[in-house]
Amino acid sequence: MSLSRRDFVRTVGVGAAGAWTSSLISLRTQEAMAFAQAQGLAVDGVINLANNENPLGAGKEVVDAINKLFSAPQKPAGRYPSRWNSPLTDMIAKKFNVKPENILVGAGSTQILVDVTHTFTSKEKALVGSLPTYEECFGYANLMGHKTKPVPLDRTYRMDLDQTLHACKGSGLLFYCNPNNPVSTLVAPTDTREFIPRALSATTDMHILADEAYFEYVTAPDHETLVPLAVTEPRLIVARTFSKAYGMAGLRIGYAIAHEKTIQELRKFHMGNSVSALSYVAAIAALDRDEKRPSYIPDEKRRNRKARDFALRFFRRRGYEATDSEANFIFVDIQMPVEMFQAACAKRGLRVGRPFPPLWTHCRISIGTMDEMKRAMPIFEEVLEKANTQAA
Amino acid sequence: MMLTRRALLSNAGKGDNNPISTAVIAARGREAMIAEGNASLISPAIPSVDPDEIRISSNENPLGPGQAALKSLRGEYDQMNRYPMNARISEEIFLEDLAKMHSVKTDNIVLGPGSAEILRNSVRAFTGPEKPLVTAECSYENPVATSEQLGNPVRAVPNTPALGLDLDKMAGAAMNSGLVFLCNPNNPTGTVHGYHDISTFVRWVTKESPYTTILIDEAYHEYVTDPTYQTSINIALKYPNVFVSRTFSKAFGMAGIRVGYAIGHKETIARLRSFRLTLGNNILGIAAAVGALKDSAHINREIARNTLVKQFTLDFFRRAGYWTTNSQTNFIFVKLGIPAKKFREACAQHKVLVGRDFPPYERTHCRISIGTMDEMKHATRVFSEVLGLSVTDTGASN
Repeated sequence: MSLSRRDFVRTVGVGAAGAWTSSLISLRTQEAMAFAQAQGLAVDGVINLANNENPLGAGKEVVDAINKLFSAPQKPAGRYPSRWNSPLTDMIAKKFNVKPENILVGAGSTQILVDVTHTFTSKEKALVGSLPTYEECFGYANLMGHKTKPVPLDRTYRMDLDQTLHACKGSGLLFYCNPNNPVSTLVAPTDTREFIPRALSATTDMHILADEAYFEYVTAPDHETLVPLAVTEPRLIVARTFSKAYGMAGLRIGYAIAHEKTIQELRKFHMGNSVSALSYVAAIAALDRDEKRPSYIPDEKRRNRKARDFALRFFRRRGYEATDSEANFIFVDIQMPVEMFQAACAKRGLRVGRPFPPLWTHCRISIGTMDEMKRAMPIFEEVLEKANTQAA
Repeated sequence: MMLTRRALLSNAGKGDNNPISTAVIAARGREAMIAEGNASLISPAIPSVDPDEIRISSNENPLGPGQAALKSLRGEYDQMNRYPMNARISEEIFLEDLAKMHSVKTDNIVLGPGSAEILRNSVRAFTGPEKPLVTAECSYENPVATSEQLGNPVRAVPNTPALGLDLDKMAGAAMNSGLVFLCNPNNPTGTVHGYHDISTFVRWVTKESPYTTILIDEAYHEYVTDPTYQTSINIALKYPNVFVSRTFSKAFGMAGIRVGYAIGHKETIARLRSFRLTLGNNILGIAAAVGALKDSAHINREIARNTLVKQFTLDFFRRAGYWTTNSQTNFIFVKLGIPAKKFREACAQHKVLVGRDFPPYERTHCRISIGTMDEMKHATRVFSEVLGLSVTDTGASN
């Protein structure tokens, strides 16, 4: 299938509509527009390293489970999806050795991020988070006119815990994205263990939302999930997703794990029936696969690490600084405006991450398959070389 | 995986649990949420739903999505790892198809995971502490639940004696309100208002209360047979403060797949879009909807099927001497003269699940969704037994 002119107009049309008020969406649209500049390319030939997706897909078990849904006699795809909520919640609870009451499933962790931001920030109670970080919480706080306190990263592009602690005073919510998107860094596990209780005791009513979207990709040996603390500490919420290692970004399913009281508080705002029956069934099948084939996610982590190391080596050898990635993407100072880099790559059938202000010369590059990364490297080489020649 | 006893109990408790009730109320298919509390799994992905159970409680389409929808959806299995903006069958493609179908532009349309999100966001966008929600007393509950969640006032206008919307009184109540919710056809009463009545209402309200927005929910649009009815989409395009919501959950049989949309003026739609959950629509739902739109013959067959089975069900009750509204939907609203709860529980003993309480009629009326003909034949036998009707009662009085 090739990208037709109609597709091109469609894609650009979204940006031109100007109807999206969220800066988040307009940033995402920029990617679509950059991609559209590559019109004429065969879509199947495009390498997408733009959105931190798992290039291998959701897996056979997930496809089979969805297919089975359509042949079931009671036509569950035509029925409201709530029947699946409890079975999935139970499986998640079992996986983490917590109670079903500790779980809230949402349409991607996005819905969880929105629920938490809505519930715990206000015009007076600020949202605290690093600058940059994943935009959803800040986008929502801005939409609602809630107070925000962005905190610059430290020199290693890790969250600056001292400055963050300072910003937490009197605030409503700390968004603790770890590993942090888009910079891919992890706060040292010992630092996190020390910081979370300190931040909670330094404030009286501030909540912490620990976004562990990339948890499965972390290779630091002593990194731990905050789930055990979250189920005992009502002011800590952990968000997880099936969009990354589980390869189900298109199905929109994620969850929160927190103290029962906190989950109940989130439910007051949480929109029901947001998750499709197909997505529930897919997530159930994926967790069932984890039980039957415990190596599935570790294998994905190893595959990602290998391709990640390869990509990091490529840039570092050429003198481009990259952060210490603990995710399925890397963050590289490409020493040129990221929008130019992005557009030049798009022309060559390669999509890379959007700009993350204020880091205008850094590019977030997702980790594809090893084959995709090998095909991407000559393109990076060419684009960077051309830019250097022009600069000279 | 087996559902543990602990999980069963914790789940069963959710129906009465205060925190979940708002989420439950704010979503269509509320019975589904409660009734399925005891869903268990024989193996992953296969619900051990009792095959003898007849679920005519949530106005679901008993046949599910059509083949064109399924074919389109299955073609996208290799895209599940991609975010919606990267999907091959993208939201932009869907928007263009919808725009063509309705002769509008793509920026006149907002998508949602079901129309539930659109109803909820309408209340978020257009009501406030000084801008009440206006609705009929007996209508779809989502907007009221959302308003209550936000702490915004609600003006609930009693229905007419025939259980329709009292458009005159609603017009009066609309003065200086934030949002008017017109569910047409109305859930749960099944009544419909003709195009003339709706346009008169809109003309009056937009003139007398220019800052009021009107949401016309056409979830059951496809099922209407009343010739005086027409969609209000062209009214929405004429008046900036009016928009129409639609869903793929009913005639299109996709309640589990979560696709809905609204059509209106660009500015109104932009406001609704700003409240939209980021990436809220799953890619398989979009693919299914795009496929479904290509097969109008399937939808026409579904409409004809529903009309036939609905008539059979209405005939059953009318012959037995029960009053019903002239339903224009895939459910009926019947005056049984006994509390809905009592009827519901008695039917449930026979594995037939019927609709929830709809105040202020919960002591006398019940909403019953239309299943397949086989299901309704079986269900009407159960109704006869529960209501104590003899065979001659149900067959001889016409």
